[in-house]
Amino acid sequence: MKKTTAPISLAGELDQQVAQQTAELAAANAELKKQLAERRLVEEKLQQEERELKRSEVRKAAIVDSALDCIVTIDHEGCITEFNPAAERTFGYRRNDVLGRPLANVIVPLSLREKHRQGFARYLATGDARVLGKRIEMTAVRADGSEFPVELAITRIPLEGPPSFTGYLRDITERKRAEQELRRSEAFLAEAQHLSRIGSFSWRVATDEITWSEQLYRIFQIEPDAEVSFELIGTRIHPEDLSVFLEHIERSRRDRSDVQLEFRLQMPDGAVKHVHLAAHIRSDQGRLEYFGAVQDVTERRASEEALSKARLELSQVARVTSLGVLTASIAHEVNQPLSGIVTNASTCLRMLAADPPNVVGARETARRTIRDGNRASEVITRLRALFSKKSATIESVDLNEATREVIALSLSELQRNRVILRPELADDLPPVIGDRVQLQQVILNLLRNASDAMSTIDDRPRDLLIRTEPDDTDPDNNDPDNNDRVRLSVTDVGVGFEPQAADRLFEAFYSTKNEGMGIGLSVSRSIIERHYGRLWATPNKGPGVTFSFSIPCRPDGLTSDGTRTSHMPSVSDAA
Amino acid sequence: MELRQERRPVERPLVSVVDDDESVRESLPDLLGEFGFAAHTFSSGEEFLASDCLDQTRCLILDIAMPGMSGPELQRELKVRGREIPIIFITASTDHTVRPRLIEQGAIDCLFKPFSDTALLEAVNSALHLK
Repeated sequence: MKKTTAPISLAGELDQQVAQQTAELAAANAELKKQLAERRLVEEKLQQEERELKRSEVRKAAIVDSALDCIVTIDHEGCITEFNPAAERTFGYRRNDVLGRPLANVIVPLSLREKHRQGFARYLATGDARVLGKRIEMTAVRADGSEFPVELAITRIPLEGPPSFTGYLRDITERKRAEQELRRSEAFLAEAQHLSRIGSFSWRVATDEITWSEQLYRIFQIEPDAEVSFELIGTRIHPEDLSVFLEHIERSRRDRSDVQLEFRLQMPDGAVKHVHLAAHIRSDQGRLEYFGAVQDVTERRASEEALSKARLELSQVARVTSLGVLTASIAHEVNQPLSGIVTNASTCLRMLAADPPNVVGARETARRTIRDGNRASEVITRLRALFSKKSATIESVDLNEATREVIALSLSELQRNRVILRPELADDLPPVIGDRVQLQQVILNLLRNASDAMSTIDDRPRDLLIRTEPDDTDPDNNDPDNNDRVRLSVTDVGVGFEPQAADRLFEAFYSTKNEGMGIGLSVSRSIIERHYGRLWATPNKGPGVTFSFSIPCRPDGLTSDGTRTSHMPSVSDAA
Repeated sequence: MELRQERRPVERPLVSVVDDDESVRESLPDLLGEFGFAAHTFSSGEEFLASDCLDQTRCLILDIAMPGMSGPELQRELKVRGREIPIIFITASTDHTVRPRLIEQGAIDCLFKPFSDTALLEAVNSALHLK
């Protein structure tokens, strides 16, 4: 069956071959398809990357184009490869006109061009860059030749191959002007502070950060670069004023109130300065900070002291002078009748000695002698009347103002005695009716006593407190319609007095002082009593004494317009 | 004007006294009379100038400080009028520095009240060129 099977087998073989080839073709086709798909994938990826690159470049170009700073790139030869719109605006060149030109020839002024070239060459040769990676200030030139200050930062572009650079430039004309203005204003302030001897400071309460102006360093004679601390300040405060100063600091820290303070500084050479400090507090987002000024008032104080010394001398001269004038006028008044007495008596003797004696004439001259003697005696009587005349002037008196005047009069004396005076004068003090000058004598007397009582105190500050206040605590007052009283008290930290001496303090000629006459307090008490008030002394809880007086604002017997409705005894009546 | 001594007016030289103080005007003429002079008194310089005694007055006793015309002013007025009357100033002031100045300006003397009778006599005699 080979023959018959042969064609059959031939046909079968052919079929088989066809089938095989078809299968191979199909496989190849599938492979091709796969490759094609892969290729497409790669291409797509490439395209995507290209798009992204383009986008990035566009983005970068947009950044460069819209930047407010000038951005200029240069290649390794220093020629311009990029020049952004800000650079076009600032320098006045078109981008296309400067691309490829050496940067130095475009924006560097002629005078600096050589230096620029040298620096560039040095960098290329040695890698030594003095300007790379930092901001520098230099002068640049515009297309029209005008020069202006710029801030410049240069960075190297991190690419393979020959180096290229990006420069960022900014026109700082305005900033420079502002800086100059600031410097000018600072110089102005410093000069003003120097001239007026005022230094300023700030103090952050929470951190104790203290900033001083230049002048303040000068006032304190502290090196200008020293870091200011309270410890350092303390080394310059006069030892006697230090405790008061520190107390004020603590009070400011606590109360957050404005500060007014006068104190003394002691320099390393022992020189003493008087300064006045004023500060007020400000709160910035909850951060408390004191701002203040310290003025050196040494000269003013010295001239005040000289003035008061001169005034004292003048008043003494005036006293002596007026005493001289007074003596002369007394002598004149008395000499007139004395002259008559002497002449009449001489004539009388001559008449009696005559032969015969002129008895009638002698009698007449003797009579005139007696009359002139009486006349002389009348002169003396008149003088006594003149001197004992001291009428009290009754008026409405602001006790605060009267106190301030007394303080002003005694301030230099108190300071000479190293007394630290603290006035606490009540704002709402009603006026009193009385004799202003007499009341001032009392206040002056109390201040002097307090000052004298502290003259030997050296282990504590010689604090003197003078206080005025409305007084509603008078136990003797039963009149509900007349309960307005004011009280003035003077508190010292002096030697005080023995309890048994309390009653005798106000006696005339009783004095605990060696120099004292002992009449001050007795006169003071009689003055206060004439104002229907009382004057008393109480020992303090701590050291020292408080003297107080309390007087009614509208005493019985005195009307509010100050006219007298009953007798108010004068000093001469009491004497 | 008070005329005190009228005995033998021609022989007795006239001494005029100008002082606003009454006790001086009362007492001096008697003393001057004891000395042997005639005396007229005036309470002011103006009164003296208006009187008819200017010609006869041989010596003027003149207070320095007076209301109205002062002593030195009267002295100047007399000089202006050409009346060179010798002047003895008297004063109740205690300022002795005025004396040399007044003498320099032509006064015979300046006596400070109260002055003695002998000092006055000496000054008047000196004014009249006696003794």
